[in-house]
Amino acid sequence: MFADRLAFPGAARADDLMSVSADWSWPRVALAGARDALRFPAWIVGFGLIGIGSLARDVGYPVDVAVLSTILVWAGPSQVLFFASIAAGAAWSAIAIAIAFASLRFLPMTMAIMPLLRRPGQSIWQQLLLAHYVAVTAWTEGLRRLPAIPLHQRAVYFLGFCNTCMLVSSIGTFSGYYLLGALPTPFAAGLLCLTPIFFLVSLTAGLRHAADVVAVGLGLALAPLCERFIGGGFDLIVSGLIAGSIAFLIGRRRKAVP
Amino acid sequence: MTQPIAMLDGPLWPYLALVLFAFLPTEIWRWLAVGLARGLNADSPLLEWVRMVATALLAGIVAKLVVSPPGVLAAAPLLVRVGAIAAAAAVMALTRRQMVLAVLTGEVVLIGGVWLFAG
Repeated sequence: MFADRLAFPGAARADDLMSVSADWSWPRVALAGARDALRFPAWIVGFGLIGIGSLARDVGYPVDVAVLSTILVWAGPSQVLFFASIAAGAAWSAIAIAIAFASLRFLPMTMAIMPLLRRPGQSIWQQLLLAHYVAVTAWTEGLRRLPAIPLHQRAVYFLGFCNTCMLVSSIGTFSGYYLLGALPTPFAAGLLCLTPIFFLVSLTAGLRHAADVVAVGLGLALAPLCERFIGGGFDLIVSGLIAGSIAFLIGRRRKAVP
Repeated sequence: MTQPIAMLDGPLWPYLALVLFAFLPTEIWRWLAVGLARGLNADSPLLEWVRMVATALLAGIVAKLVVSPPGVLAAAPLLVRVGAIAAAAAVMALTRRQMVLAVLTGEVVLIGGVWLFAG
């Protein structure tokens, strides 16, 4: 097929899930996670966070704060809000509240992925550590890949995958601090557009049922509408709840009538 | 520029500000979710609903970034932004989900579009 000939050698595809054998030692499982990250997702996150470096430099914060923001916050939109709001002179309380609203998505996202990563005997601290890595890439890729991996190896695989993404992104943020600024407009815009393009591509890669398609489609359609009619930072939550609930009900009905 | 809080100001202020006003407001939701997810089964209907809401929320973020773009992305006309997203989605649908190809196509449409219409 034409599309197959276009395929990059070893390129990431939604149906190319690597199997991890149940008898592998933990370094081998961690390396499998790292390799799967390096095959594509880590580079996208890394490129996506280059802009953070230049934003941090614009407000005169040291380079290690820029890199630390990638490691500690691990959420592009929160990091953009933080440095851009400081540049705009917003009050500290307003910055914290805006970031809290923008990060609310992590509540349903983390809730949905934790049962895949949990296993008996895991301490609450281990779970909190695993939860820290939840961001769009880890979430969409994790939901897709983790079910195929033996239960006792999932946490190690996940950590290998996420830490690789984080390492590449830290390098991206670091280089953005020194390199960006003189970039021609089309390429600077291209870097910024990487986030929505990649979010959508990861979401479509994870589509399994008609209900998933409804959730993505309605989510896309309702958000701009809600932004127009509901203010105060609540718009995204409202559109997510409405679109998600409708998709859920459609999925239930389909299951009830097989 | 937002000035440091006077009584906490010092060489460590940027680090403190990052932890207080960016790390904690983001991380709190991840921590809260660990508590709320305890005892929930991976295939429970409640979790299925939660997953649908999270999916719709992420799609909503895509739409918001396209409709009200941050920074220099606003240099791209709306049609180019929507075209880039649509091109990436079309490649995903037509090529058995080639993610690399889809992202590259979206980027080519966007960068080319800005070059043509706004460069």
